[in-house]
Amino acid sequence: MAPKKKEEPKPAAAPAAPKPPEPERPKTPVFDPATVTLEFTPEQIEDFKYSFQLFDTTATNEMKITYAQCGDLIRALGQNPTNTEIMNVLGKPKVEDMHTKMLDFDQFLPMHQHICKAKDCGTYEDFVEGLRVFDKEGNGTVMGAELRHVLATLGEKMREDEVDQLMQNQEDANGCINYEAFVKYIMAS
Amino acid sequence: MGCGVSKSNQFHKNSGKAIKSAVLIQRWYRQFVARKEMRRRYTWHIFQSIEYSGEQAQIKLYNFLGYLMDNFTPASNERNLISHIFRENEVCRDAEWERYFCYKNIEVPDLYSGPHLTFPLTVEQAVGLVEAFRNKKQLHSRYVLQLLLETWKQLRLLPNINRISTCHSKEITICGDLHGQLEDLLLIFYKNDMPSLEKPYLFNGDFVDRGKDSIEILIILFSFLLVYPSEVYLNRGNHEDHIVNLRYGFTKEVLSKYRMHGKRILKLLQKIFSWLPLATVIDQKVLVIHGGISNTTDLNVLARVDRHNYNSALRPPKKRHPSVAGVPINSDMDEEAGSTNKVFQRRPSLKFPRTLTKDGFQNRSLQDFSELLRVNTVEDVEIHKRLPGPLGPENDTSQSCESQSCESISSEDEWKQILDLLWSDPMAQDGCVPNEVRGGGCYWGPDVTEDFLNRHNLQLIIRSHECKQEGYEFCHNRKVLTLFSASNYYDVGSNRGAYVKLGPDLVPYLVQYQASSMIRELSVRQSAGRSERSANKVLREQLFAHKSDLICAFKKLDSENIGRVSLADWASAVESVMRLGLPWRIMRSQLVTGRSADSSIDYYEWFNELAIKGANADHIDQSLLETLYRHRSTLETIFRIVDTDNSGFITMEDFRQTWKLLSVYLKMEITEEAISDLAVTIDSNQDGSIDIEEFMEAFRLTDKKSRLERGRSMFMGTATDLTKLEGDPNI
Repeated sequence: MAPKKKEEPKPAAAPAAPKPPEPERPKTPVFDPATVTLEFTPEQIEDFKYSFQLFDTTATNEMKITYAQCGDLIRALGQNPTNTEIMNVLGKPKVEDMHTKMLDFDQFLPMHQHICKAKDCGTYEDFVEGLRVFDKEGNGTVMGAELRHVLATLGEKMREDEVDQLMQNQEDANGCINYEAFVKYIMAS
Repeated sequence: MGCGVSKSNQFHKNSGKAIKSAVLIQRWYRQFVARKEMRRRYTWHIFQSIEYSGEQAQIKLYNFLGYLMDNFTPASNERNLISHIFRENEVCRDAEWERYFCYKNIEVPDLYSGPHLTFPLTVEQAVGLVEAFRNKKQLHSRYVLQLLLETWKQLRLLPNINRISTCHSKEITICGDLHGQLEDLLLIFYKNDMPSLEKPYLFNGDFVDRGKDSIEILIILFSFLLVYPSEVYLNRGNHEDHIVNLRYGFTKEVLSKYRMHGKRILKLLQKIFSWLPLATVIDQKVLVIHGGISNTTDLNVLARVDRHNYNSALRPPKKRHPSVAGVPINSDMDEEAGSTNKVFQRRPSLKFPRTLTKDGFQNRSLQDFSELLRVNTVEDVEIHKRLPGPLGPENDTSQSCESQSCESISSEDEWKQILDLLWSDPMAQDGCVPNEVRGGGCYWGPDVTEDFLNRHNLQLIIRSHECKQEGYEFCHNRKVLTLFSASNYYDVGSNRGAYVKLGPDLVPYLVQYQASSMIRELSVRQSAGRSERSANKVLREQLFAHKSDLICAFKKLDSENIGRVSLADWASAVESVMRLGLPWRIMRSQLVTGRSADSSIDYYEWFNELAIKGANADHIDQSLLETLYRHRSTLETIFRIVDTDNSGFITMEDFRQTWKLLSVYLKMEITEEAISDLAVTIDSNQDGSIDIEEFMEAFRLTDKKSRLERGRSMFMGTATDLTKLEGDPNI
């Protein structure tokens, strides 16, 4: 076995490509609910209350949901935040707290309001552009397997079963996905 | 695929873009899932609201009929129409019963290809029956009657409360509601083996109604009961009740499968249902009952009642001696309902607090009836008072109350014990309040559970009666377990079923399943969509059936008469008429397709959008038609009651009388001409009799959006047409 060459000290932190910037890194400081003015109408609040109750799984109907459900509820009400944005309004809780800490409806409202104001959904075109990145042959399709890999390893990673559910029945016989149709499918919930 | 190399190239080139795009997709996916979950939850809520309203309507109807029985003269037409359902069984001695149900002269033709039974029944025959039903065979009526007779003899030997023990390390398997869904029973037997000496089973009621194979389920359960009397146990459910069966499909199923002998089979089943045990206690520690308990439930009292006197849990037994006319059953229910509006909260499976007041789905207090009836029947009463005989002057309710007050207290108590056991639901809050949503039994809280368990030295209550998405649900600090074994109950994909295994350690071990090969083929998205479309259709039908009242409500809010109302007004008007406690605004996008700039709603146009087609009946008054749509299953129930020989036909005269009954019940005016118009539409051969099926078909609402127009919606109160779900060949 040849002796190892003494390695030169590698230059610190200089990978071949620049470290990819995290998209939508929240520039806001710690979220302070007191600074949020509620602009919802009474009817909207009533509707939110109904939906809140749907997610309340406490044994005694205490009108409380877990931190983990907060994101689901905000999404169910039509918003489309990233997980990072949600963790931000929740005050960046620890992972172990997500299923144990609870919030009530009054705590929920300012969080929801904040998300509603920060609209940055991404349009149909953004979506298609993003997927075009993976369209190696420029023919309007991406490889299902590649997309699965991306969704499970990049960004706010999805679990395997989530990816399966999303991609169910989307791939054609060759394992390709027509991404314009795919985007329409996702956005048409 | 050579992914590795090319991927890293992609990343280097477009990593920022790739990540951005990934995050976008991920966000949208998460929103998609969350919205779907929410829609699933309120779809469930819709089905449940409508289901419970139907039960409430049924009980109200029964109360009404009971009230008529107690207050009309014996000779009146109305009373004669319905008296037979309240009549004591004339044949009371066992030997006479056996003679009445003699099967021996029923011949089995050579062409018959179903199973042949010989008694005493053997295991092979019981297993053979399961196979035969899996292969869609039908058991001949001769064998059905014979089997029922043997079952009845066996059930009479049983106590009100079964007491079993899990000794010899035997685990007992407990199943909840099956509701005629044979696929689920077959699936349970497949996963868990059939009953045997090593495999005891307990079935916790509601074997029949709604599903299409109720009689087959009964036959299987009874067969195993006969073969393994010490290993198979049955509890009575609220659907083991001939009055409930009239509305929810079992009666119809038997009559259509057994045209010649169906009536006898039903009569014998009435008896059998009343002989089913009321409860089971396992190892003196676990109580298994169909519905639940109340703060007055006492197992010692229940152990002593003559359970077979309660043919239907909805009515207390009439005493045999002639001087007693029977107390109106609603007397104690009415008391509670009659107090000032009680606003209370219950705990539905969605944990959705609903404000329920006395003004429920059909707000008709019996005080109203008595006013009406007194006015109309003053003459009758006068005549009747002069008549001697069993229902003479003592028929005056107040008098009879007093004279039998001492005797009737205990029988009322007993009756309430049974009613509570079969109809109650748990709630999250402490206390015990009447179950006004269903119309029978009560809602009981965790404090009542605690107290009850302590008093009886028990540790767990297992009950059924409510559909749960996962097939089971714990509550009251895990001291109450709800178990439901009919999967896909509301629609394909709506819920799983479950069964429980209990060993000597008495720790419940739950097994879930979901029947039907159709499920596997539907993608998750499709099956959720189905339930929603189904619920949506049911709602649209209900809305259409209330068109007149809704238009009235809209007009009140549309002061300038422009034909439009705001979204908020639309929602409040709809709720004020429908009273289902549903989130109309949230569901707006599914119920109102027309959009306008200021999000107001053109309400006339909206009814067209509902895309529900009514009967071809321009000559019939609109509000009468709506009554028909709305109260369809009540009307059908009354028809079936009136059709005493179960022929499927009633005479014109009875038809008129039925409508008169209904008009009193609903407090609405129906003229003779209107009734004639209705009859003419149907009685096409002019022979003076009405075919019930034809009539109900002609006045059915159909969904213009749906290609499947056959098969009725489960929630209009009749058995669903589940032939869409073929038997699972993979079981």
